[in-house]
Amino acid sequence: MKPFDLQRPTLIDQAVSLLPVDHDDASAQLMAGGQDLLTVLKQNLAEPDRLVSLRRIPGLDQLTWNSDGSLTIGALVSVQNLADDSNVASRLTVLSEAAASVGSPQIRAMGTVGGNLNQRPRCWYFRNEHAVCLKKGGDHCFAENGRNKYNAIFGGGPVYIVHPSDLAPALVSLDAELTLVGGIGERRVPVADYYLLPEDGGIERETVRQPDEIVTAVHVPAPRPGMTSTYLKFQERGSYDWALSSVALCLWRSGERIDAARLTLGGVAPVPWRCPDAESLLAGRTLDDATCRAAGTAALTGASPLSDNAYKVPLCKGLITRALRHLGA
Amino acid sequence: MAAARAEWESRDTLDVLNHDIPRVDGPEKVSGLARYTHDIRLPRMVYARLVVCPYPRATLRSLSFRKANRIDGVVHTEAIKQEGDAIAYQGYDGVVGIVLGETPEAAGEGLAVVDVDYDRLAPPLVTPEQSLAAGAPELRSGGNARGESSSGDADDVQAELESADFVVDETYTLAVQHHVCLETHGVVASVLADEATIYHSNQFVSGDAREFARLLELPNDAIHIITDHVGGGFGSKFGAGVEGLLAARLSRDLERPVHLMLSRRDEFLMAGNRSGSVQRLKGGANADGTLVALHADADRIGGMGNGSLPTPPYIYTVGESFARVRSVLTATDPSRAMRAPGHPQASFGMESLVDELAAGLALDPVEMRKRNLSDEAWHRQLDRVASEIGWHRHPNRTRHGSPDADGMAFGIGFGVSVWGSGSMPITICEVRISADGSISASTATQDIGQGSRTLVAAIVAEEFGLSPTDINERIGDNRLPPSVYSGGSITTGSLAPAVKHGAHLAREALSERVAASLACEPDDLVWSAGSVHVGGNSSRSLTWKQACALLGSETISVNGHWQAHLADQGVHGAQAASVTVDTLTGRVQVVKMVCIQDQGLPLNRMALRSQINGGMIGALSYALLEERVHDEASGLLLTDDMDSYRIAGCQEMPEMVAIIDDDDTRTGVMGMAEATAIPGASAIANAVYNACGLRLRSLPLTPDRVLTGLAAMG
Repeated sequence: MKPFDLQRPTLIDQAVSLLPVDHDDASAQLMAGGQDLLTVLKQNLAEPDRLVSLRRIPGLDQLTWNSDGSLTIGALVSVQNLADDSNVASRLTVLSEAAASVGSPQIRAMGTVGGNLNQRPRCWYFRNEHAVCLKKGGDHCFAENGRNKYNAIFGGGPVYIVHPSDLAPALVSLDAELTLVGGIGERRVPVADYYLLPEDGGIERETVRQPDEIVTAVHVPAPRPGMTSTYLKFQERGSYDWALSSVALCLWRSGERIDAARLTLGGVAPVPWRCPDAESLLAGRTLDDATCRAAGTAALTGASPLSDNAYKVPLCKGLITRALRHLGA
Repeated sequence: MAAARAEWESRDTLDVLNHDIPRVDGPEKVSGLARYTHDIRLPRMVYARLVVCPYPRATLRSLSFRKANRIDGVVHTEAIKQEGDAIAYQGYDGVVGIVLGETPEAAGEGLAVVDVDYDRLAPPLVTPEQSLAAGAPELRSGGNARGESSSGDADDVQAELESADFVVDETYTLAVQHHVCLETHGVVASVLADEATIYHSNQFVSGDAREFARLLELPNDAIHIITDHVGGGFGSKFGAGVEGLLAARLSRDLERPVHLMLSRRDEFLMAGNRSGSVQRLKGGANADGTLVALHADADRIGGMGNGSLPTPPYIYTVGESFARVRSVLTATDPSRAMRAPGHPQASFGMESLVDELAAGLALDPVEMRKRNLSDEAWHRQLDRVASEIGWHRHPNRTRHGSPDADGMAFGIGFGVSVWGSGSMPITICEVRISADGSISASTATQDIGQGSRTLVAAIVAEEFGLSPTDINERIGDNRLPPSVYSGGSITTGSLAPAVKHGAHLAREALSERVAASLACEPDDLVWSAGSVHVGGNSSRSLTWKQACALLGSETISVNGHWQAHLADQGVHGAQAASVTVDTLTGRVQVVKMVCIQDQGLPLNRMALRSQINGGMIGALSYALLEERVHDEASGLLLTDDMDSYRIAGCQEMPEMVAIIDDDDTRTGVMGMAEATAIPGASAIANAVYNACGLRLRSLPLTPDRVLTGLAAMG
């Protein structure tokens, strides 16, 4: 790891001013809990001169329920605190379960909500400093024709990473937004629009965040009444791992009948992968085995697996069935 | 008085041995006080980092330390290979340079700015398919497939197969696995003009000096090897290694101590592996389950090494067998011994085959196994693990189960193990008793985690009615009396008899003094509970300190030698595993594992159970997760850290039942640990089949393989 200066501003504007404005300027990086960043540095994937820590800026670690029933989560709220909050668990179960599924107890204690949303991909080639792949300025994606069991079945090309965040699919299903503060001022972006497909410019970066922008908060609107939700994550290693695939499901029901559904997959695409066809299919149907199968089929239609990851198709179908049965039970 | 022979007491009269003995170094280890090689800090010490080529086959195009030499704190840089030199394989041959710094950070910073470039050679030859392809470059003269040996008569086998009631013809493949020692390989070397001190995490303290002595042109006894603790070896820590010899030479050249512990990535690249294997087995059985024939064609995949695989048939008795085994080279680091070298691989092939034959003949797989196992020990052991895991209540004993409405299936599988253990007659243990009551036992064995340090103390404690913590046990130093390597599970069988003999001689010597003082015969003395008394008259007694005080200015010093009659050899074991297979996600969850193991006289029951648990855990991780993966185009190692190379964690752990086979009434001692590492993966794979009918012939049983297999079943 290359030595760096650790800068610890106490105001958000100071932090912004310490960040580069140009995408090509890699001299400084933001640090929250450091759980991914330190790994990235140790793997020599980034060699910034400066780290700008957010930890001394007051107010970023607050979880606030607003009078309209919405929730504001400061970017520095630890993943564990989010998982432990009983109101989040009862009102926004999908988010609570997603937080509890992250990493290990140690990682959840140090890792933050903002950091989780902005971690770098886990692709074997991206993480190998000697593989100069497309994401790192090379001329092709090694995973496309290489060892790709962990890579994308949706939204791939020309790179095939999957976004590793567990919170992101849950927040997409909840219609959450982010506040970004940067040199150009403050803006709010739906989480669903925050992540970039490679074909939309997300080749060397994964989000629309500008280099001098900082995610300061996540806003979760008050859920429409009657929502039940769950996050079902499947890890290759149960003890701690990223998702091979995950399902963030919200349902609104009247008795056996499904009124509406939100379904977002994690671990299958470079972005949280919303499944609108499955959502519309579910609306108006009775929650039974045939519906589970049909939803899985609808969600996975259009998947284009690579050589080693076709298993993600039945895996996602299985997870969708499980998630629906869980909420239907 | 003619000296009596040292004898182990009968099991039921032992006070310390054959009981649970907590490790004497446990508190040091859990509190961080234990000093491993990695922890050694010496005055003026420098830290080394290696410049390593990531590619299997390449030519060193350029190497410049110009920028590294300008880094503050970089002390020395050196090219190990020159521009134009070939890198023949990934691993030790890829070490092209070295950077030494005043601190690990300075060395790392220097390493990061070394300018190095390679011309890669294609194909990288990282898979057996690449190595065996027509026109593939030869990794060694004579070709990439080598060392072929065969045994048996293929024609006889063919005739038997043709008349067998059921034949299975399948190929079983096993991934290359790593040792993943928590303490990486390495050395701290402090070399002076006429002597050298080498702190070395290794498995053979007594024999470790030789390579260093030859390199440094010093006599063997000028090399002082110190190995207080070893953070895991599993067979991979024999010999100085490139890292050890580099550290020693640079310490001599720089006249400073050198700390060279491999980085985790370098550890994955060059510190060895358990060889993979591809076994095509064609086996036949009669309707009653008798194995009549086996035709085996097997490749060992050990990188630039030969790999390991016992010649099939493994353990089971087969009427006629023919086996052809060879090594297929790949341009990766040579395999090293790893926990029962070759046996888990052979077990997976053979136990899968036996299970497939049992299924094809609709036989109970436990009964099928017993029919073909020669030693009665395996019969009682299989019955015991079957009973312990609930086999007789299990509904699917002669056919596989199927998933329930939620897609979950439950199954049970079995496997057996064998190991030679045995011993070497070279250990000497000095036992010394001083007048102040201090008592030590010294021998240059090493504790690689198996508990040998505790064993040295416990055997002496038993002899004198003391507690293991009363004994100053000294190990891990080659200036102590010699001992054996830790490999092949021979430590206990080689060490314990010598310690016992030393303790016995020391007791005889001290007994003479005490007998004179208490006016009795030495043989009348009873040593127990920290004192000694005349048998039948506890009032005529001395405390341990009073007894030792009789020595006055004298010190007892005796050397115990290995005694054949105190040791024995040959162990057997059986394991059962139950699993759930989630057919919707491909998750195999091991619910319970049971292992029974014999080993003659049990010395430390707690350590034995720990070994059994360790064997099951290692096998579970091998079965479910562990796999070395290379990129086949570039040859880069993709699983080069503990994120990408997955080992089992706490969530993967099943209920574990470790059973010491007390029906083994042999009175000698022997090691048993490696046997426990053998059949677990086989039992798990067989349990997956029993659960849902999915026969996976390739380890590890990762969800992608399970789901792909289930999809193929339709």
